[in-house]
Amino acid sequence: MKQSIYHLEFKLFFRNRSSWIGIFVLLITGFAGLYFGKTFIARQQAVIEKAAVLQKKNTLNNIDHFGKDIGLLFYHNKFSLANSPNQWAAFANGQRDVNPYLISVTMLGLEGQLYDTDINNPVSLLMGNMDLSFVFIFLFPLVIIAFTYNLLSEQQESGVWSLLKAQTEKSFAIVRRKFLIRLLVIVTVTIVLFIVAKLYLALPVDFTFLSVFTLTILYLSFWFALSFFFISLNKSSNFNASALIAVWVLICVVIPASLNLFLSRKYPIPEALQNVINQREGYHEKWDMAKEVTMKPFFEHYPQLKKYPFPQEKTFSWFWYYAMQQMGDDQALESRMAIKHKLESRQDFTHLIALLFPTIQTQLGINKLAGSDLDNHLGFQEAVRKYHEQIRLHFYPAIFQEQGVSTTDIQNYKLEKYVPQQAISVRVNLLSIFVFTTILLGVSILNFRKVNRF
Amino acid sequence: MLNTVNTIAKQTFKATFNNKATLALTILLGLSLCLATYIGWQNFKTQNNQRLHYKELVRKQWLAKPDKHPHRMAHYGYLAFREKHELSFFDFGIESFAGVSIFLEAHKQNTVNFSEAGFSNGMLRFGEISVAMVLQVLVPLLIFFLGYNSISAERESGTLKILLCQNVSWKQLLWGKTLGIISVCLSIFIPLILLTILLWASLSNWHISSDSSFRLLVLILSYSVYFFIVSAITVLISAFAKSSKSSLITLLACWIFFIIIMPRISQAIGVKIHPAPSKVEFADAIASDIHKQGDSHTPDDPHYAAIKDSLLKTYQVDDVKKLPFNYGGYIMAEGEKITAKIYSDHQKELNKTFEKQNSITTLTGFINPYLALKNISMALTASDFNTYIDFQNQAEVYRYQLAQKMNKLQIEKISNIAPGEEEKPLAISGKNWAEQSDFNYRFQKLDAVIANGLLALSTITCWLLAIIIFLQYASRWIKTIS
Repeated sequence: MKQSIYHLEFKLFFRNRSSWIGIFVLLITGFAGLYFGKTFIARQQAVIEKAAVLQKKNTLNNIDHFGKDIGLLFYHNKFSLANSPNQWAAFANGQRDVNPYLISVTMLGLEGQLYDTDINNPVSLLMGNMDLSFVFIFLFPLVIIAFTYNLLSEQQESGVWSLLKAQTEKSFAIVRRKFLIRLLVIVTVTIVLFIVAKLYLALPVDFTFLSVFTLTILYLSFWFALSFFFISLNKSSNFNASALIAVWVLICVVIPASLNLFLSRKYPIPEALQNVINQREGYHEKWDMAKEVTMKPFFEHYPQLKKYPFPQEKTFSWFWYYAMQQMGDDQALESRMAIKHKLESRQDFTHLIALLFPTIQTQLGINKLAGSDLDNHLGFQEAVRKYHEQIRLHFYPAIFQEQGVSTTDIQNYKLEKYVPQQAISVRVNLLSIFVFTTILLGVSILNFRKVNRF
Repeated sequence: MLNTVNTIAKQTFKATFNNKATLALTILLGLSLCLATYIGWQNFKTQNNQRLHYKELVRKQWLAKPDKHPHRMAHYGYLAFREKHELSFFDFGIESFAGVSIFLEAHKQNTVNFSEAGFSNGMLRFGEISVAMVLQVLVPLLIFFLGYNSISAERESGTLKILLCQNVSWKQLLWGKTLGIISVCLSIFIPLILLTILLWASLSNWHISSDSSFRLLVLILSYSVYFFIVSAITVLISAFAKSSKSSLITLLACWIFFIIIMPRISQAIGVKIHPAPSKVEFADAIASDIHKQGDSHTPDDPHYAAIKDSLLKTYQVDDVKKLPFNYGGYIMAEGEKITAKIYSDHQKELNKTFEKQNSITTLTGFINPYLALKNISMALTASDFNTYIDFQNQAEVYRYQLAQKMNKLQIEKISNIAPGEEEKPLAISGKNWAEQSDFNYRFQKLDAVIANGLLALSTITCWLLAIIIFLQYASRWIKTIS
């Protein structure tokens, strides 16, 4: 008996043309999101492959050109570190379009090179990427709203409701049944998209997969709960549609956008511009100063390099030159730290407010899992710093002693790839969305009971 | 005829403000607009002041440099900051996604760095609240809520038949309803425009330039046309829809499709059809072109060997050291000329690719009035792609002039005989640095902006014409009774 009622409800649901349109829209945009997301990431991967080849070629070229003067060779030669996208980045492109994924630096001052951007079309950045996470975060809620907003009001407006109520005592069960069917349909579409994503993007079925899937399902349940809440208010279809769209606009557009504006007002980063100036002055002013001014702090920074004889009498030496470059970085340390603190404050603020807004929470969570958020980029920058430092310390002795290039192993330096170390957990994200969903469901059920319509 | 239209418009206007819910919505939107204006204004002031502060600092430091070799100054280079146009507080456009500062030095073209987006943890991706955003995205939603039942409700309550019997034609009804809804919009838009003018005037210290005034005028016109288009679409959909409910759902679906989904997809398609090179590929292409042209680093490069020979012949000397000017400076000037030319050619090609990518979005303006207006609005407030490219070009011109000026100083004032390894380096007086003037970005004039935005302007004009024609002749297909 029960089985057949569900069967009939399904039939009813699928008889409606708009149900099919909704499912069709989700699947088509989902596939489009997968396609564009993958294209975007595949392009980055191809560029990294190419950069690896160019790295070799350019190093050989440079040795050919400047091989007689080791200092000059390292003035020109670049070393590259790539932030290779993992498979999930195609699922959520996140900030990977804004932030460079390949940083090539010479041994000179790092602060003057680290922030160089990729060449980008700013209009594409403004419009944003089309990926599957966009479909889940923005479009799924809209279809959920379209499927559910008139679930009860339609029955009332068409007069069916009084008939139904007369025939059964459990009218709440009817609403619940209709609701569960829609939930089931959306979850099925989600699973289909995840399976296609798994095959198309070659995603491993692991903890990350489980986390992204759980986060998505929870986020979608939040929207169901929200819709359920509006149904429980027992208003007209037009009211429900307007109110739900208004809420969608608020929490998907207006509130995050306002908060972002507040964020950039509260934590502006003029230190970034200051940093460029500090680095530039810190290095260039040394040309007009006594060599002592450069060498004393340099040897304090690197006492281990003191053992190499410094050609004091020479007007110019590479030893002095690289030490001056180092001074640029050292004198930018304070502003660099200030940038870091500002960014940390921004992150803290965002994480705090994200607790209140499931949309932001989901977006941040998925980007984090996909390794396409700001943290990932900052980690990458930090890795470039380490790599740069390691190269500096490795080649300084040869340069300072003006040895032949052939004595160094510069030819062995290939393009390196950054691998993020820390394990990523989205427990907080999951919990906060879960709490919201539960509260909304609870309030809705209370609403249904209170009015005692059932 | 006009009288009837007027009466209907007035009636619609009054009815809207009698409805508490819509009144509340309208006031709320009006308030958020004022807030957006204020925040946009504040944001503009802080960011622009920051940039001006550092601009002055850079100039001061440049002038304060002591006596030195001019080539050292060419490497010390200059920092240029992208200034914001005074109208950009109205529309942020690509501001947050475009870099702010660029380091200009000899031999090397750098990227424009430090965009706000680079410091963003992803929240920026939800959009930015600016006056333009509210007017482009949220006001249409308000118009939909105001007008979705403008005709369909009359039909449902049976008053439509009565109206049409009382000598009111469909044409009058459609125009009247449209004008009524627009007048509601204008009741928030006009005070807002006054506020904008006030703030804009105060931003420019009450020195109002005619160029900006015209920009603002075209801007106001474009937005008014946009509201008219959206209102008319709303009324038409309400007239064609089976019921108020289906009218509302159709309008909301349109809003989502045209405003949320379409911009992303059209741009993604543009990027896919016209792929741009990555930075490494771009740099590699330039390097190999330079290599083909000649390499100033290799002593027996044919191009430079030829220059050397001709110089020796002209001045009838047997060694470059005997030339009456600094030979190194001469060669460097030649090298800079060649590399800058090659770089500019590649940059032009790259910008063309970007323009092609964007043209897909501009073209979709013909089917999407939101994108049509968005492009016009960004262009007029100088927060668009063209202004950004124009900044890059002006910065590159400045960089080239700076490098060549320093080369010239070296050619003329530096001895041709290099000092020994332990001797003092050659230098010229620090007073020479003032010869290099400060970098000042000049915004394009309105006629250039209009010429660039001709396609976008024609898209919105097409919409205007299409809508007017439709309002005039739509009655043929509308049913009075559903």
